[in-house]
Amino acid sequence: MAETPWITPAAAIAESFPDGLKELGPRVQVNLRGDVTDSTFVNAVKTATGLDLPDAPNKVAAGKECKALWLSPDEWLLVGEGEAASLVQSLEEALSGQYVAINDVSANRTIFEISGPYCHQVLMKSSEVDFHPRAFAPGNCVQTLIAKSQAIVEQVGREMFHIYVRNSFSRYAGAWLAEALVEYSETS
Amino acid sequence: MLNIDCPWCGKRHETEFHYGGEAHIARPEDPAKLEDTEWAEFLFMRTNTKGYFAERWLHSHGCRRWFNVIRNTVTHDIVGSYKMGEKPPKLPKRTGDAK
Repeated sequence: MAETPWITPAAAIAESFPDGLKELGPRVQVNLRGDVTDSTFVNAVKTATGLDLPDAPNKVAAGKECKALWLSPDEWLLVGEGEAASLVQSLEEALSGQYVAINDVSANRTIFEISGPYCHQVLMKSSEVDFHPRAFAPGNCVQTLIAKSQAIVEQVGREMFHIYVRNSFSRYAGAWLAEALVEYSETS
Repeated sequence: MLNIDCPWCGKRHETEFHYGGEAHIARPEDPAKLEDTEWAEFLFMRTNTKGYFAERWLHSHGCRRWFNVIRNTVTHDIVGSYKMGEKPPKLPKRTGDAK
């Protein structure tokens, strides 16, 4: 089968995105569920991926090939590059026989990257969560609403955020972020 | 608007949550043995509390966990939130009292 290109609804408006906003290409996204208090589970994940799963809410743990975003007390989103099938396979092998769930959700969400001096203002306009540097720092992630649509926001740098939105909302969310970014960069 | 304290994620805006009605209503052990009136009592009858009230909330746009909140139905004062299976926080003495 010929490889299908990665096209989300946001691709239709991608050319009009201002500097500081872009849609990232496809990433491997695997949803992992299991009991974090069970050391067999935690150790097996560490062996398979090199990740220490974060047990503190809204934290990101970075590994060599992928990172883990805390989604709920027993659920993480593993994000990386490469092949989803191989990550799923290595997790399934390491965790076989355990009470876990491993699902490839790579096509579920697309990722916007906003960066630059106005990204905090854009998020303040879009969400009720406090993204001020005193409350939110690189290595934090949060599941919340961005312009009333569900999203995961991850801070990857001092002035850089990744926003994971459902593909079907991507055109709406992309247009919203673009407009917000233009608004603040033009008024400053 | 309410700021609700999710036991896992911390204080979040009301729009991230869904309301789940009165808390601590135990499902009957053996529903098949109940009379219709008893089943209806379990399904539909709720207290209509004026004052502090234990209720369930779901952090639907966050960690997707159910938990309990003690909220004053008159003043919206929230005393605290606690996980399923935990003991509720102490209530203020009189209905309508501030914390």
